[in-house]
Amino acid sequence: MNNVIEINDLLFEWNNKKQFSLKIKELKVQNKQKIIIFGRSGSGKSTLLNLISGILSPTNGTLCIKNTEINKLSQKKKDQFRANNIGVIFQQFNILNYLSPLQNILLPCFFTQFKKNNKEYFYDRTFALAQKLDIKKNILLQNNSKDLSVGQKQRIAILRAIINKPFLILADEATSALDENNKNDFINLLMNLCDEEKITLLMASHDTSLEKNFDTSINLEKVLL
Amino acid sequence: MKILINIAFQSLLSRKITVFLTIISLTISIVLFLSIDTLRLGAKKSFFGNVKSGDLILGARSGEVQLLLYSLFQIGSPTNNISWESYQQISKMPEIDWIIPISLGDSHKQFRVMGTTKKYFEKFSYRKDKKLQFQSGIYFEDTFDVVIGSDVAEILNYKLNDNIIIAHGIASQSLHDEFPFKIKGILKKTGTSTDKLVLVSLEALEAIHKDWKTGSKLLSNTKSKEKETKGLDLTPKEITAAVIKLKSPITIFKVQREINDYQIEPLQAIIPGIVLTKLWQIVSITENIMLSISSMVIISSIIGMIAILYSNLNIRRKEMALLRIVGASPKNIFTLMMFEAFLISFFSIIFAVVLVQIASFIFFPLLDRQFGIFLEQKLWNARNLYFLNLVLISSLLVSIFPSIQAFRKSINDGI
Repeated sequence: MNNVIEINDLLFEWNNKKQFSLKIKELKVQNKQKIIIFGRSGSGKSTLLNLISGILSPTNGTLCIKNTEINKLSQKKKDQFRANNIGVIFQQFNILNYLSPLQNILLPCFFTQFKKNNKEYFYDRTFALAQKLDIKKNILLQNNSKDLSVGQKQRIAILRAIINKPFLILADEATSALDENNKNDFINLLMNLCDEEKITLLMASHDTSLEKNFDTSINLEKVLL
Repeated sequence: MKILINIAFQSLLSRKITVFLTIISLTISIVLFLSIDTLRLGAKKSFFGNVKSGDLILGARSGEVQLLLYSLFQIGSPTNNISWESYQQISKMPEIDWIIPISLGDSHKQFRVMGTTKKYFEKFSYRKDKKLQFQSGIYFEDTFDVVIGSDVAEILNYKLNDNIIIAHGIASQSLHDEFPFKIKGILKKTGTSTDKLVLVSLEALEAIHKDWKTGSKLLSNTKSKEKETKGLDLTPKEITAAVIKLKSPITIFKVQREINDYQIEPLQAIIPGIVLTKLWQIVSITENIMLSISSMVIISSIIGMIAILYSNLNIRRKEMALLRIVGASPKNIFTLMMFEAFLISFFSIIFAVVLVQIASFIFFPLLDRQFGIFLEQKLWNARNLYFLNLVLISSLLVSIFPSIQAFRKSINDGI
């Protein structure tokens, strides 16, 4: 199996926070793997996800995503690479209430894929995936997203993360705000979609009970130097 | 770009109350500035509009401001008159193109009566060389014909061929009731002091004062004496002032000097533009204070807008982070913030223009009627467009700071 993420001798230090640094000797993630990263608060889980997504650049070391050394790309190319290849699910789902659910889902396409004039394809894909996740068309087309239920929000967040057909999904504490039922529904949905769409999943969490759903778990504190 | 405009617009809509208050604050400040500036320019235009006609004003020696005020604005009273002989002699100066004599003193229901000649209607011009025009009727043909300004007609509800009686002096109870005048013409609105004038011929003034001596009427029967004046020599003995137009403006100081050095009687000639500018300089202190205050209000509103954009940066951190994750570049975030500032300023300007336009329809006629300030309802002049552009550009320029901040934060803020 190919490695989609390869980290070697990575060092990250904040410019203004010298007390925090993230050092990883080696970390490899294989294609279509589902990995959960554990670690206490402040251990650097979110920082690692930000480094992988190209939002942050490492101070030293190499970080290759699908054979691309992302930190060596220009800002513009980094943004495009992320939008085209990586889907992200946030802790609070980060649904923009002032946009419709449909616009929320298509948000990654607006900045990348729509430029290629294949709008129709992405609209069709959204409606098809929404149907699969039991989101009715009238909900997708409502004026804004402020009245969505938690369940609808999590499904919209998942759809937004996969709409651009990424090879990698990064999820940061995506279940921490959910109750037990919603958590299970969310994880099942995410796992099924990752399988169907052949997506690699990297999820950061405190919740060790989720481990059973993933192929591998990583305790970040153990891989840190 | 389209998506950024859409996001900026919808994001603003989602923060209706804050955005609305920001727009209102900026709108009020723009309205304040535009109103003060329109009033200031309108008052100045109305004031200077009276001095378009002549190069010099001839009058008896007194204060130059006083001469200007009573001859052009019919404000105050002349201290002395000019003899008709001196007027005749000066009018023969070769440098003079035309000269219009004016005679003041009487009134009609608080409106000043001004004696003049036909030349006044031909030569008097105001604002951008506009000539006097009649809304109805014509110039006086008979001795006891009268032409009235538009305000006189409107306020006193006068029509052509109505008879009016002139009172001796200002607000005098002594009436020249033996000489009823017939309204022969009504002038179109000019926005100058002419609108409030009752114009008669110099001969008519001479005729109605035949039985008067040192301001009192001599005892005689009061029945109509209109017919008795026929055949009499009605050449005026004196006039109040005269408006002089020179053939060439180069000779202005020469003619002025010659009049000021006139030996037969003490006369003076003033250059109306210069005297009016001196007069306006006194007013301009208040004018500048008002402009400064309204500019400060605009600056504070723009700063208020920036403060709101800044305070929203933290609230919207997640929103910006999301946009970055889904592919928006830091440049997109910067553009988004600038769009928001643009939309706030743009709508403030639109609302301000609409409000000022509505206010102009309501208040301009009122200002004209009450204070004689004639303001043009055409607000889309180059000056106002320049000012509105300046507001837009300044608010965009100062919005660069929170936008840069958003741009910087968005580079670091992530998942």
